[in-house]
Amino acid sequence: MKISIRHLTKAFPSRVKKGAPVIAVNDMNIEIPSGKLIGLLGPSGCGKSTTLFMLSGLESPTSGQILFDEQDVTTLAPERRGIGLVFQNYSLYPHMTVEQNIMFPLTNMRIPKIEAKAKALDAARLVQIEDLLARKPSELSGGQQQRVAIARALVKMPNVLLLDEPLSNLDARLRLQTREEIKRIQRETGITTVFVTHDQEEAMSICDIMVVMKLGFVQQIGEPQAIYDDPANLFVANFLGTPPINIFKGRIENGQAYIGDEAIRAVELEDQEIFVGIRPEGFIYDPEGALTLDVDHIEVMGRDKSVVSRHTSSTKPTVRSIIDSDVKLPADSGVMKFNVKPNKVFLFNANEERIL
Amino acid sequence: MAKKKHGTEEAEKLEPAENGAEAGRKDTKPSAGQKIKNAFVKSWHKVRDWFVGAGRTVKGWFVKKKLAEEEVGPDGMRTILPNYNLTKKERFFRFCRSQSGWLFVLPAVILLCIFTLYPIGNAFVRAFMENYTPMNKRHPYDGWGFENFVRVLKGDTGMGGANFLQCLLNTFTITMISVPVSILLALLIAVALNSIKRVQKAYQTILFLPYLTNALAMGAVFATFFQIIGTRTEINEGVANLGLINDILGWFKIPPVDWLNPNMHAWGSGTVKFYWASYLAVIIYEVWSGLPFKILILFSALQSVNKQYYDAARIDGASRSKILWKITAPLISPMLSYLFITGIMGGMKQYSAIVGLFGPQMGMDYNMGTMVGYIYQYIDKGQTGYAFAGSLLLFLVIMAITGISNLISRKRVTYT
Repeated sequence: MKISIRHLTKAFPSRVKKGAPVIAVNDMNIEIPSGKLIGLLGPSGCGKSTTLFMLSGLESPTSGQILFDEQDVTTLAPERRGIGLVFQNYSLYPHMTVEQNIMFPLTNMRIPKIEAKAKALDAARLVQIEDLLARKPSELSGGQQQRVAIARALVKMPNVLLLDEPLSNLDARLRLQTREEIKRIQRETGITTVFVTHDQEEAMSICDIMVVMKLGFVQQIGEPQAIYDDPANLFVANFLGTPPINIFKGRIENGQAYIGDEAIRAVELEDQEIFVGIRPEGFIYDPEGALTLDVDHIEVMGRDKSVVSRHTSSTKPTVRSIIDSDVKLPADSGVMKFNVKPNKVFLFNANEERIL
Repeated sequence: MAKKKHGTEEAEKLEPAENGAEAGRKDTKPSAGQKIKNAFVKSWHKVRDWFVGAGRTVKGWFVKKKLAEEEVGPDGMRTILPNYNLTKKERFFRFCRSQSGWLFVLPAVILLCIFTLYPIGNAFVRAFMENYTPMNKRHPYDGWGFENFVRVLKGDTGMGGANFLQCLLNTFTITMISVPVSILLALLIAVALNSIKRVQKAYQTILFLPYLTNALAMGAVFATFFQIIGTRTEINEGVANLGLINDILGWFKIPPVDWLNPNMHAWGSGTVKFYWASYLAVIIYEVWSGLPFKILILFSALQSVNKQYYDAARIDGASRSKILWKITAPLISPMLSYLFITGIMGGMKQYSAIVGLFGPQMGMDYNMGTMVGYIYQYIDKGQTGYAFAGSLLLFLVIMAITGISNLISRKRVTYT
């Protein structure tokens, strides 16, 4: 099921009289191909959950269109859209057993009970909870509850599966496991899946396509690696990557990009104040390198070293570089010089847009 | 088990545990008979241990153990000695001090005993005194027996009056119909109230008004709905005041119903009749006056339901009525159960509604009497012995019905 979102806008009226309305989603245009796992990524308040609920039909947009396979569903009721929705807190009916919970959508579609039970069993097998069918939700752990919620959403074979922050209520170890489960289920069923998250690591690891949002605006759409290697603006560069990208204030003068007084690379752009972003893995130790850093200490990680340094032009308190552990550094602290890999350096103008 | 010193604890560990918990025994699961036996043994052990403890306490009062030397600490304070080394006087004072909690509740307990427990106990005891005449100081009662109960059940007061079975039927029918109908209506109204936003507060206030009104005053107003004023001739000539409901029925060409005269519309003959018209009048009154409280309770219960359940149900394609019965009602089932049980208990004790509608005679010789009215009539006629017996019977009936309702509700109620 292909999803097209055209000029979607959602404005909430202000609480104060004559106050400006809060625009949660601002003129969004996305084309989602069929059968892919899409992640809506962004910090709190960027409009990703609002978008998800507009896709589901529980919220109605202020303007714009949503099309499922060229059919306009913008005003269609949620029960007619053929979607499955997994809420952030699962919303399992506490007075029904797991089996009844999963069968509930089917009983509303008036499917005979035997058939409904068989389908529920299939869905339970898909998420691997077939031996918990007689329990009530209060007798399940968090991860099991979530799988029941996913089974309930999938049992009616929806065209679109929507997940609202599916991993935020789970502990760290379970998160990794469930991440793989979601990816596996999506690949097995081939359903177009849209999920919302604020965890960039989670989104990067399982999405086919990522949509990065900030304050209601779409910042960038693309494959995870593409966005990582080629951020459209400073926000996207900052948001993705662990440890986060290092940002320096610099300028372009006479065809050279400078951080402080050191020229990093040659550019053919006009003179301006810029931000320079350098990924942590983009530093190479070189006694005659272009960039001087005042190394504060080195954290040994085993497979590589994390060099924590300071620089006067850095916008963040520390500069982190990841150096391979085979490289020998002269000392544990002090002033050292580094070179930078050109493909890990991004230049942003004063408006935080990407210029190189 | 003989007393063992600490050193022999290791040897004890290898002894087998009691009652079939060993591994390797064939019949590890106790049968039903064994379970009952185990329960009895446990309670016997409890009783036996209590007696042993009591015996030891009493023994301690008489046997004096050698007192240990008192330790006087550096600050000059006596160290607190363990219990078995205290003198009898010290032990008594310590016990008194530990019961200080009772002093806090003493005022309430005293009032409770005087005004609640004593009257109830008194009534239940005197119910068994035959021919109870308190005025006769020398010969207040004849003896102990069930005669009061027999007379109450037969309904034979010797002075005319209501029939026990008739009153039982009245109370039972009215309660069993009005309580479920009232709860159902309250649920629908509460759900409707929950869904409107603008005039919600106004409707809440209006719907709550009956709760603040006196039962007798309401009865008087309802009398204008149901009461036919006028003699036979006036009715036949069509000039009498037939009451509001009969007027409305007249629009549909339905003949007027004499609501408040039980004998006019009754099914069956003989001592026990089914006064359907009067029942209907009382049920309508009861439902209407019970609604506000139930609406209030159910409305606040509805507010506590997480709205996301409704969203999830909508996405699952449930229709409105399905959401109401399969999602909303189970989620507020604790409240529904509470209203059902208290409604039945209150309904069985109903008195003022009938008096308000039918007057103190409850429709000619207590025809439409309720259980409580039946008991009161004995007090009116001075036969308090029968009243005591009747109230004990009513207590047992209510307890039985409440117990049954409890059992029914327990299965259907989910406490979230």
